[in-house]
Amino acid sequence: MPELRAMCLGDLSKVLKIIHTHDEDDAEAAESDYQEEGFENQFVLEVDDKVIGVTGYTEVPATDATCWLSWTYLDKTFRGQGLGKGMVKDLLDKLHSRNCRKLFVKVSDYEDPEDGKIYQTAYKMYESLGFKEEVVSLDFYDEGENQHILGLSLSDFFHYDAEEEIEIIDEKPVIRFDGLHEIAETEGAYTFTWIVKDSKKLFGKRNFTVLDLKIGLESVKNNGGRKIFLTFPSNLPLIHDPLQKAGFKYVGCLADYYEQGVDEFHFTHDLTNI
Amino acid sequence: MLPIGDDNPQINKPITTYTIIGLNALAWFFLQGMGSGEQLSASVCQYGLIPADLFSSSLWNSDSHVCRAGSGFGWAGVISSMFMHGSWAHILGNMLFLWVFGDNVEDSMGSMRFAIFYLLSGLCASAAQIISGPDSYLPMVGASGAIGGVMGAYIVLYPRVKVHLLVFIMIFKVPAIAMLGYWIVLQVVGGISSMSSTGGGVAFWAHVGGFVGGAILVLILKDDELLVKHPHHGWHAYKDPADIWNDPPNRQ
Repeated sequence: MPELRAMCLGDLSKVLKIIHTHDEDDAEAAESDYQEEGFENQFVLEVDDKVIGVTGYTEVPATDATCWLSWTYLDKTFRGQGLGKGMVKDLLDKLHSRNCRKLFVKVSDYEDPEDGKIYQTAYKMYESLGFKEEVVSLDFYDEGENQHILGLSLSDFFHYDAEEEIEIIDEKPVIRFDGLHEIAETEGAYTFTWIVKDSKKLFGKRNFTVLDLKIGLESVKNNGGRKIFLTFPSNLPLIHDPLQKAGFKYVGCLADYYEQGVDEFHFTHDLTNI
Repeated sequence: MLPIGDDNPQINKPITTYTIIGLNALAWFFLQGMGSGEQLSASVCQYGLIPADLFSSSLWNSDSHVCRAGSGFGWAGVISSMFMHGSWAHILGNMLFLWVFGDNVEDSMGSMRFAIFYLLSGLCASAAQIISGPDSYLPMVGASGAIGGVMGAYIVLYPRVKVHLLVFIMIFKVPAIAMLGYWIVLQVVGGISSMSSTGGGVAFWAHVGGFVGGAILVLILKDDELLVKHPHHGWHAYKDPADIWNDPPNRQ
């Protein structure tokens, strides 16, 4: 009887082995994730005392109960029996009991020269559970390897009414960029980190401008970057003018990401004309 | 050339604007006797702002001036003069300007802040008029300095909004920046040409002082949260973000 239980340190080597059989890079990235974040909200699937799968979630800070699916892999020898789907369903039960509102998952469309589209099965499994594709970031992981982000409202999955939509008020915080870094698991995809400064009415800090964006774009180009991906909440009207003028393109949005009614807008720039 | 309206929607009830208009009307009816001869001149001397009363060290020959020495309200006249007027045309004209422009400026900062803004604009106006003639014996009355501040704020907040102007029997719609820009140029020109005269008339420098004061004060007192959804705020009428990005050239 398969059982989903909390992951502990003793499971780590088995889990990494399972991930390694699918994707060596992911195994490496997962190892550092577990070392940094620990095993909170991480689970393993056990059949007859044997660990055959791993899944889990991370809560997104500063959101209303939004979660990302963590490393989710099933031992290759147990595929095709519905165990992977069952494992994610069990996880959804846990998320439901913990009042998670929306769950997102990132899936690559990497095509291995030998094994083909290694994530296609997983993608189809998520779709069969009701996940819907919300954003596709082209060339995200590398040239030709895109990132698909799928989202699932737990209210849809468990058939209850979502919270009533409240009126969302646009906000005009003073946003400034304070750094740039290469996005983990990617080759040359960068993002800017940003902070909200106190607004000073008289000689105040102003929101970032097209010039600030250009400084960042040039730095990424000088660092050998390939693309930039930025995300912002959907209720910030002041971001659009400078982003548009700096040549950013709109990728799409993760619906209700921050809270019901506040999406996460995704933007990208491929560094042309920089 | 009278402004009779604008294409600027009022979002909240302009409580302070209505209150100020009410106070001016009450003062006109009860303190100034609706402009009747003696009560009018007595109220102007009593509640008007007389710079010489505050700053002049020279002797005041009461016989040769409109008001007797010491008849004024002293420093309190800075405030009380903002609610006094010299004629029906004076008060009606001022209240019309306040009615047209006050509500939208109040919308930008809320009623409490607008009350402070209005009084501070009036102080700027008084200061400018006093600086232009600290020895003047002429009493200054009228809300127009403070209303000049409201107009200064309006030009900063809503430069492109169309103001409806009644010119003879025709109504023209002109951008606020053109109408108010023209108005302030007239005041500066009037102020410069009045510098050589000693007689009474329009307190041009009070208008200029109020206007400049209001244009600066609004930058401090406006509340961006209140303005964020205002369709005519500033030069940029932001399209709905989704609209911008749904244009094909802006899509990935």
